[in-house]
Amino acid sequence: MIGEFIDGPLWYISSIVFVVAVVWRIIVILSFGRKKNLAKPRYSAGGGAMATILRRFFPYREFYEVSKFRIVAGYMFHIGLFALLFFAVPHIEFITSISGLSWAAMPHWAFILAAELSFFGLMYLFVFRLTNPVTRMLTTRGEYLGSVLVFVVMLTGCLALGRSHEFLRLFHLLSVELLLLYMPFSSLMHAFTFPFSRGFTGAVYHRRGLNI
Amino acid sequence: MAIDMNMFHGFIGQLGQLGKMAQPTDYPDDERVTRAKDVFGNRIGAEQAGDMEACVHCGLCAEACHFRVMTGNPKYTPARKFELIRRYYRREKGPFKWLYQLFTRDITAQDLMDWQELVYDSCTTCGRCSMICPMGINIAELVTITRAGLANAGLIPADLRAVQQEQQAYGTVFGAGPDALKLAVERMAEQGVEIPLDKDKADYLVITSVIDILLFNDTLMGTARVFNKLGLDWTIHTCAFEGANFGMLAGASTTQEKASLAIIDQAVKIGASAVIVPECGHAYPALRWAGANIYGQRLPFDVFTISELLAIQLKQGNLKLKQNPDLNITYHDPCKVGRYSGVIDEPRSVLQALGGRFTETPAHGKMNWCCGGGAGVFVINSATELRRKAFDKKIEEVDQTGADTVVMACGSCRMNFLRGSVDAKWDKNIVSMVAMVSENLA
Amino acid sequence: MNHQAFPQCHLLRWIPPVLLLLAVMLFAGSPALAQAPQKLSPDAVSMEDPGSELWRQIRQRGTSEPVGTSQVRSVESGVLINDLGERWAEFRMQELKHWGKYPLLLVIVILVVFYLLRGRVDIEGGLSGRMLHRFTHYERALHWVMASIFLFLGVTGLILLFGRSSLIPVFGKEVFSILASLSKEGHNLFGPLFAVSVVLMFFQFVRRNIYAKGDLSWLLKGGGFIGKGHVTGGFFNMGEKTWYWIFILVGAAVSISGMILLFPNFGQGRVIMGLSHVVHGIGSIVLMTIAIGHMYLGSIGSEGSLEAMKTGYVDYNWAAAHHDRWARECKDNNAVISPEQFAALIGEEPPRVSTGKPAVEVKS
Repeated sequence: MIGEFIDGPLWYISSIVFVVAVVWRIIVILSFGRKKNLAKPRYSAGGGAMATILRRFFPYREFYEVSKFRIVAGYMFHIGLFALLFFAVPHIEFITSISGLSWAAMPHWAFILAAELSFFGLMYLFVFRLTNPVTRMLTTRGEYLGSVLVFVVMLTGCLALGRSHEFLRLFHLLSVELLLLYMPFSSLMHAFTFPFSRGFTGAVYHRRGLNI
Repeated sequence: MAIDMNMFHGFIGQLGQLGKMAQPTDYPDDERVTRAKDVFGNRIGAEQAGDMEACVHCGLCAEACHFRVMTGNPKYTPARKFELIRRYYRREKGPFKWLYQLFTRDITAQDLMDWQELVYDSCTTCGRCSMICPMGINIAELVTITRAGLANAGLIPADLRAVQQEQQAYGTVFGAGPDALKLAVERMAEQGVEIPLDKDKADYLVITSVIDILLFNDTLMGTARVFNKLGLDWTIHTCAFEGANFGMLAGASTTQEKASLAIIDQAVKIGASAVIVPECGHAYPALRWAGANIYGQRLPFDVFTISELLAIQLKQGNLKLKQNPDLNITYHDPCKVGRYSGVIDEPRSVLQALGGRFTETPAHGKMNWCCGGGAGVFVINSATELRRKAFDKKIEEVDQTGADTVVMACGSCRMNFLRGSVDAKWDKNIVSMVAMVSENLA
Repeated sequence: MNHQAFPQCHLLRWIPPVLLLLAVMLFAGSPALAQAPQKLSPDAVSMEDPGSELWRQIRQRGTSEPVGTSQVRSVESGVLINDLGERWAEFRMQELKHWGKYPLLLVIVILVVFYLLRGRVDIEGGLSGRMLHRFTHYERALHWVMASIFLFLGVTGLILLFGRSSLIPVFGKEVFSILASLSKEGHNLFGPLFAVSVVLMFFQFVRRNIYAKGDLSWLLKGGGFIGKGHVTGGFFNMGEKTWYWIFILVGAAVSISGMILLFPNFGQGRVIMGLSHVVHGIGSIVLMTIAIGHMYLGSIGSEGSLEAMKTGYVDYNWAAAHHDRWARECKDNNAVISPEQFAALIGEEPPRVSTGKPAVEVKS
């Protein structure tokens, strides 16, 4: 019975809440508007926005030494997770079953590699956050919860790999639904807000003559 | 050095007395909170909302901030500095304010007082943190808004407040009014440097600052020599000469507008095609970027910092410089002129035209380390120890160049460098760019 | 309470006899090697029984080469019955399962008794509040990531080894089936991460773990446990160095054997797989046993030890007691920081008193 709830109503509720809340959050950010800037610009704002959104995927040379662990672990986690989410066979099958869309999956060895990288990256970053005085001071309970939730989703997915027990699959799906419900209200939203913060700052600086 | 060190020490001594001259701005606690929130509410736009929604507390900004890096103290992390306005935003403006009110503490008067140290003493709004932030958050702007909120709540640090109140009431800074300017102009005339005052019409309205009038005369004289050599039609006006904007520095918008409008109105009155900002950091963005928005329309004149003007004149072939092969220099980018305003190549083209050896510090241009004295911090006495520690970073950077001279393009930075080099017994020459250029005119 | 300078040593002293015991247990039950064919008595009637000869050859008694061939070309395709397989199955179901729990239970019992009798080993003269920087952020993060992976692998491994006899009676077959399934998947996925961690730990700490002058005297003095002599230690003392090398070497053995088991499609046959499992099982029990001792000593067993991995800083008195040569070096390099500086560095400085009134005048 619980299984039917997880497969059925809870899936629909969590997906709808996720989509609506994400869109709402972005709409509200944009609704604050930007005051017209009357100062004579040096360069265009729009070009600066796009350039900064892309450029910030890589740190500046001056910061390699101090940021290397976070950047490497961060990319291990994010790229691994992206690969798992969109190119793992069970996930593609799931998406096909609800939307009809399908695409090529990655081979099993790539899946394992992506999972290993993703786990190591996330665990390293979580421990980093706990052991660095700066992040310890900054991090809120909500952020710890977000990290733990993502880890639980990944772990339950890995534990259900054998596809041997319905219980394990449902446990994974339940954790995904909890994450979908939680994500729009947390700083995990950076997945959608990063283009805005990078873009706005890039636009402002480019207008003043700087590529950042 | 071409400055009077006795005058310098006297100046520093006077800075220590500033706090006593400030008028109190005490409000009841709940009024402080309301006044701060009013400013926050008005100043948060889509850019600030987007920024505050994107921070994931990765802590990288802590590695770019001179105050945090050189003290090791996590509380000076840039992301912490805007935590106050973020809490306000989440509880009262953001998309899920009804939810956050359940889980997030409201800001209190004690919070505002605790944040005074974080947004005034330990932040020069240099923007270096935005260079490392993977989310590209404009942290300096959030700190500037927080300062404005604290200012409205009566929490400008006393030393800074004293000067802001003086500028609000009298339009002067450190007591230097038209008489002080006239006296300085007379002294310079005795040395053969003419400064045309109060012309009814002129192409260039040049502004200066109290620091140049009282202390860094070489900068003012150098500017005059260059303008005269170039044969430009220029003037300084005794009623609109002060470039320093302590309203901007303190976060007091009324004072900022008043100070800027005085210059803008005068420039319009004399039909200037350009206003030239002296070697001063914040004076440039005060006019170049904020001026038009204060004026309500695009400014009918250009605004150049002196290094921009020199570069333009050099490129046009009007400015001719002697080559000086003995020079062994490096350049300190003022944060508000360089990283904030994009004037990075111009001073370099001028300095390279002087010949000699020019070596960049390891972090330069838009990545430059802040000297620790900007945004009014050099005036705040409680920040003395912080500034001293932050300055060690500049010493380390300059020492790596092997240069014997550091060229400055900002009076605040120069003041901070001088103070820092005296404290650390550092032996580098600290010189003004325009003064050096004026000594090498061909 | 008696002061004890190096509490780890008494535990490590048990390792050789335990290992010996394990080895004896392993080999005590092994069958005699292939027997020679029996001689016929002169009164016996000779009857040809082609069956026994055939099966003897198939089971490869008396020869190590495969006697059969097959059209299937693959690893061990000429082997019909793997004789060692039965021996391995016996070892796993009997000796390993039966004896493997004793080191783990024993170490827990010893530590509980020790703690009840002796309590936490404190620093003579107490902690000073002055601190030394001991571990970088990367080292601490690496340690805790590795420890989490180790704990996860340990728990899932124990479920896989002991679960059928210990957990089915408690949870029933259905629930245990789920537990076993998820343990297998989890253990398999995190195994390579442990291998990576061992490599990273090796490179990060190898320089400081080379045995040096003074380590032998540490050992001869029993780490300060025997007699009252003062023992000396560098950045790591001899006990810690020994744990490091056991961790690296046994950890490497466990990792390599694990990889052999995890990726069976590289030509390894059943014999190698069986041997790998034996190494994996014994090695992991050894690691878990010592790790329990390590966790005890690093937390409640010894005053001031956990700080090293929690904050990266240790108390100067703790360093002087356990690692006197390193402490002296730090002191000579002016690396000792005050309690106030330490509080500021870890973000626990009390907030500046801020009242909103004009700032106190500061002499310039």
